[in-house]
Amino acid sequence: MSLETPLDLLKLNLDEKVYVKLRGARELVGILQAFDSHCNIVLSDAVETIYELVDGELKSNEKTSEMLFVRGDTVTLITTPTDDE
Amino acid sequence: MSAAQSGTTSVSTQFLANIIGKPVSVKLYSGMMYKGKLESIDGFMNVALSNTSEHFESNAHMLKRYENDVFLRGTQVMYISEA
Repeated sequence: MSLETPLDLLKLNLDEKVYVKLRGARELVGILQAFDSHCNIVLSDAVETIYELVDGELKSNEKTSEMLFVRGDTVTLITTPTDDE
Repeated sequence: MSAAQSGTTSVSTQFLANIIGKPVSVKLYSGMMYKGKLESIDGFMNVALSNTSEHFESNAHMLKRYENDVFLRGTQVMYISEA
């Protein structure tokens, strides 16, 4: 087992812009303020993108919030975004 | 070393320790498959990958490439295999 667990590596992303993938075709981009071992997350300046298929066409909706607490059980993936996100 | 010789460490613990640094495939319950180099893994099956590509179900075509390290949440992981 390596010394640095995946959650240790997440610490490197604190105060940085992160991209979070959630269950149900939802994505979040925001500044990572805090997280815990359940993956409960606090994001500031967060943008939520919700994708849905309407008559076979992919539509997306955006919601913004200044500060957002995300319950860990919906989180599937966390990374730092590349320029286009 | 065979599983019988390993003594206290279980086969699964040994497997997880042995695949660090190797290219792996991680399948999530959502059906998404992530392929990349295994940077780190813990007892909850939380995973960190580098050079990650995202696929739906089997190999097929790549949906997305992640430049930076990707964290995958352990509770969402269905399996991990050496690629």
